[in-house]
Amino acid sequence: MKISTTRFGDIDIDESRVIRMKDGMLGFEHLKRYKLFIQDEKIPFWWLQSVEDGSVAFVVINSLGVKPDYEPVISDAEVNLLKIESPEDTVLLSVVTIRSDPLKVTANLRAPIVVNAKKMLAKQIILVDSDYPVQYPVTENNAALEGKEKPEIPPSVSAL
Amino acid sequence: MLILTRKSGETIRIGNDIKITILEAKGKQIRVGIDAPSDVAVHREEIYQMIKQQNILAAGYDDSIGKNLSHLWNRLKNPKEDVE
Repeated sequence: MKISTTRFGDIDIDESRVIRMKDGMLGFEHLKRYKLFIQDEKIPFWWLQSVEDGSVAFVVINSLGVKPDYEPVISDAEVNLLKIESPEDTVLLSVVTIRSDPLKVTANLRAPIVVNAKKMLAKQIILVDSDYPVQYPVTENNAALEGKEKPEIPPSVSAL
Repeated sequence: MLILTRKSGETIRIGNDIKITILEAKGKQIRVGIDAPSDVAVHREEIYQMIKQQNILAAGYDDSIGKNLSHLWNRLKNPKEDVE
């Protein structure tokens, strides 16, 4: 299927690679279908492009790449909703906010997008009783940034 | 908006399966207990709004900054130089 996007022009996407976002993103509840784009495998920023509105796209980052000890609590209800059978099928994405000072780029660890890559289902989940910040500096303690390792693409994401 | 007055220990029921109990009122702070089915999301309003605003900000940022994510990444890796 062909879609027109503001950032990538006209693109052809495989319907089976479209992620269905339960309830949409907060503030964008009417948009429920997204495609994950990895433009450059050497950098950890990826795009979550709305399939329904070509002008809407979020920059996202693998939450575990930003904070390797990240352990959000996902409720059983959400696990069931997303039909998650195994953690290996799951990837956690954080919405990245880019500011006029690029060094102040932050990732939202308080409301990860939990993706079941196997079933192509996702939901942005607001963590309950969590201290994870909405604006976590990407530059904080980032091993990939220090050149120690390449940004890792989890197998579940390459499958997207 | 429906407005009800309740004392500590009293409850409000919403629908068949949501219960809100006033646990304690101390000065300006009121502790509230909420019983809701696990598929009903319960959040502090300000957190909900903050995340919504963050999403809107993230989706609508100035394209000139984010157009080249490789550039941004290089800039983060070399914060002192403005790498082209």
